[in-house]
Amino acid sequence: MNAAYDAVIIGGGISGMMAAITLAGRGKRVAVVSKGDPVCCFSTGCVDVLAEGENPLKGIRSLPEHHPYHLVGETGIAEALELFRGIMSEEGLPYVGDVHANRKVLTSLGRSKVTCLVPETMEFGGVDPHESFHILSFHKMKDFYPQYITSRCEKSAYSTFDAGITTTAGIAECFEDGGFLDTFVAWVRGRAIQEERIAVPAVLGRRNCGAVYHRIGAECGRRVFEIPTLPPSMPGLRLFGGLKNALLRRKGDVYWGGGIYSVEKLNDQIEAVTLTGPGRNTRVEGKAFILATGSFVSGGLQASRDAVMETVFNLPAYFPGTRDVWFQDDFFAAGHEIEKAGIRVDASFRPLGTEIENLFVCGSVLAFSEVMKYRCGHGMAIATGVAAAKTCMGAYDAV
Amino acid sequence: MPFDFQHCIRCTICVANCPVFKVDPAFPGPKQAGPDAERFRSDDDPSIDRWIRLCSQCKRCEVACPYGVNPAEIILREQTRYGQRHFRSFAQRLFAHTYWVGIVSSIFAPVVNLLAPGTFVKKVLSLFGISTAIPFPRYYFHTMGRSWRWKGSRKSRKKAVFFYGCFINSNQPHIGRGVRDLLASLGVRVVIPRQVCCGLPALGNGDLETARRFALKNTRILAGYIDKGFDVIYTCTSCGLSLTRDYPGILDIADGKKVAENSYNLHEYILKLMDEEYIRSDFDPLRRRVAYHIPCHLRALGIGYPAARLFEKIPGLEVHILEDNCCGLAGSYGFKKSNEHTSTTLGTDAARAIKAVDPDILVTDCGACKMQLGYCSGVPVCDPSEILRESLNVTDAGI
Repeated sequence: MNAAYDAVIIGGGISGMMAAITLAGRGKRVAVVSKGDPVCCFSTGCVDVLAEGENPLKGIRSLPEHHPYHLVGETGIAEALELFRGIMSEEGLPYVGDVHANRKVLTSLGRSKVTCLVPETMEFGGVDPHESFHILSFHKMKDFYPQYITSRCEKSAYSTFDAGITTTAGIAECFEDGGFLDTFVAWVRGRAIQEERIAVPAVLGRRNCGAVYHRIGAECGRRVFEIPTLPPSMPGLRLFGGLKNALLRRKGDVYWGGGIYSVEKLNDQIEAVTLTGPGRNTRVEGKAFILATGSFVSGGLQASRDAVMETVFNLPAYFPGTRDVWFQDDFFAAGHEIEKAGIRVDASFRPLGTEIENLFVCGSVLAFSEVMKYRCGHGMAIATGVAAAKTCMGAYDAV
Repeated sequence: MPFDFQHCIRCTICVANCPVFKVDPAFPGPKQAGPDAERFRSDDDPSIDRWIRLCSQCKRCEVACPYGVNPAEIILREQTRYGQRHFRSFAQRLFAHTYWVGIVSSIFAPVVNLLAPGTFVKKVLSLFGISTAIPFPRYYFHTMGRSWRWKGSRKSRKKAVFFYGCFINSNQPHIGRGVRDLLASLGVRVVIPRQVCCGLPALGNGDLETARRFALKNTRILAGYIDKGFDVIYTCTSCGLSLTRDYPGILDIADGKKVAENSYNLHEYILKLMDEEYIRSDFDPLRRRVAYHIPCHLRALGIGYPAARLFEKIPGLEVHILEDNCCGLAGSYGFKKSNEHTSTTLGTDAARAIKAVDPDILVTDCGACKMQLGYCSGVPVCDPSEILRESLNVTDAGI
C-alpha cells in the first residue's frame, strides 16, 4: 500500500484540522477529507473552553464523568490549547488570553459572552455595560445594528461610515485594500472620538486583519476591538483559513468534495474511503482513520424518528432514548438531552461497540460532549483532536 | 438534482466563498442567485434576472456547501435559460466559439500575434465589449491538432487518449506536446485524435445548443477509444470538470457517464501508475521555490491536489500551495468589458498572495489562471507538467 496515508481525517473542522496538523507536524502523511466548509466558519472565532466558573480548566473537574474532557485531562487540554495558539500565531492570527482564566467579549446584541482564548482583535472586547465606548459601524451594514448595543450599554454611542458596500464579506474585502484603509482611518481621526475604547463589527479584513487592526489602533490612539457578527463571520473564516493553511504548510493533503461515498473494510481494519466526485469517485487509502465529522449540524450525526445514526461508518451511536424521553419545547435550553447523543469511545478514542481497530473519534461527534450546555465547543474540539491524534500515533509506533 | 436547492439551510458559507460577491455589489451572491431565487423560477415564466450573468462559474460555492446544494449549477441552468431568451452580445457569441477563434487565429498566427497588441485592434475590440486589460494570449501555427499523426508505442500496456483542450491547442501547444512526451516516457501509449472544444465556453456564455453539439462529438470520439481500453487524460482542469460533470449532467449526453468515469487528471493518472507499480518515481532534484496556485476547478474536481503530491517527491522543490483565491479571469468571463473590474480586482488580490511567497516560479494547471496571474504578478509561469518533465529529464520529441 504505497499510496496509503498514515492517517485519513474525515471532517475539516477544528477538531479534524487540529488532529491532522498534530500528525503532519510529526512527519506523518495525512489527508483531510471534508464535505464542504466546516461549522467553525460561522463561529465568533473565540475558543470557549468551559463557560462555568473563573478557571475553565479547574471547572472540568465538576463535569459529569462521561464528558470527553476527562479523557484528555487538565494538562492535556492546556497543552492542546497552547499548541493551537502557537499554530495560529504562525499563521499571523495570534490568540490572546490565559487558558486558566475565562474572559468576556461584547457580542453584537450588546451582551457579554464568556470565552477563554480570543483573536487579538477582540482583546479589549471585555467591556462593562456601564463603561463608555464608541462603536464604528457601516452605512446600511447587513445584520449588524449598533442600536442593540447602545440600548443595553447606556454609555455607548455609535457613528457610521459609508463603505460603498453593505455586506460583511464585502466590507472585509475593502479593508484588504490600503487605499480604503487610509480613507477609513482619516475618517475616524476626523470624528475626534472621546471614548477610551472603539468597537468595530468584525470586518477588519479577511486575511490581513492583524495589520489593519494595529494600524487603526495606533493611528487613533485608542484601544480598538472587533465585535463578532452573524455569519458570514470573518473571525470564524479566519480561524478556518489559518488552520487549513497550517496544514498545507505541513504538507498535509486536503480533499474538498461531496462527502464519503463508501467505506472499504477488511476484518477489523478500515482500508479506504471513496469520495463522491463528479465522474469517478476518488479513493483515499489510509493506515488509520480519524472521525471528526461533528454533530447534527455538521452532518456527522443524523436523527430518524426513533434513533440517532453516525453517518460515515454507521458506528453505534448513543442517544438518550426515544423522542418522548428527550423532547423539549425549547431547543436552546441549556441541557437539552439530545445534546448527549454521539459516539462513545474508550480511553484511546476508539469507538465502543465495534471491532474496528484503526479508527479514532474526536470533536463534537463524541457522546456526552454537550457543547451548548457547557459552552465548550472549540476547546473540546481542539483538546480531543490533539489527543486522538496522539493515541493514533502511539498505535502506529507500537506496530 | 432539480430539488437540491431545498437542502439549503441559508448558512451563507457559499456567500463567504464567492469571489464575485465580495467585489461586485450588483451580484446578489450564490445563495440568493441560486437556491433562494430558484423557488420562484419555472420554465413557464420568463427568465428576468440580468445579474445571473455575473456569476463566473468558479464553483467555489459548491465546494464550500456542506449540504450538497450546488448553487453554481442552479445558476448555470438559469444562465443558459436566460441566454436562450435574451439577446446575447457579440462578445458572448464570440467567446462561446473560442474553439473556432483559436483555429482561425492559429492559421494566421503570425499576423494575429502582430496585430493583437496594437492600439487600433484593442480599440475595435473594446467597442465590441471585449476587455483589453490583460494582453491576449499568443497563437501558434503548429497546434496540437497538427500532431494527430503521432503514434505512441504499441508495446505499452497502458493506453491513453489525450484530451488537450482549446487553450493548449492554439496557445500552448508546447505544453500539450510536453504532456504527450511525458506520458510516452512513462510507458503509456498516447493517441491524440481529432477533437473539438469541451463545450464549457459555450455553456458559460449561455449557449446550451452549441455546448451540446461539441460534447456529442467529443463523446463519440472518446467513448470509441474507451471501449478499446483507453483512458482519457486531461490537463486543463476546466475541460476536466466539463467532461466529468457537465457531460453526464447538464448537457445530458447519453454516453457522458462513460466518459466521466474514465477521465483522469494527468497527475492523478501518474499517481495511479505509481500506485500500481507500473512506473517507479525517480525524480531528480530541482532547487526552486514554487508558488502553486490551485485553480478553482481543480478544487471542484474533488480529487485533491495530485500535482502537489508529485511535487513532494521532487527533492529540493519548495512548494507553497495557494488555494484561497480565484484568479478572476474564469475562462472568457474576465475578457468581457462588463466583468473587467471584477476580474482585475480579483487578479490583483491573487497576485498579492503569490508575491508574498516570493517565488522563483508560479505553477498552475489552468490556462486562464496562467494568463491572468502571470500578467498580474509578473512572476514567470509554468504548467505542473513542465516541472515533472524537467525533474524526470523527458526529452522533447518535436512536433
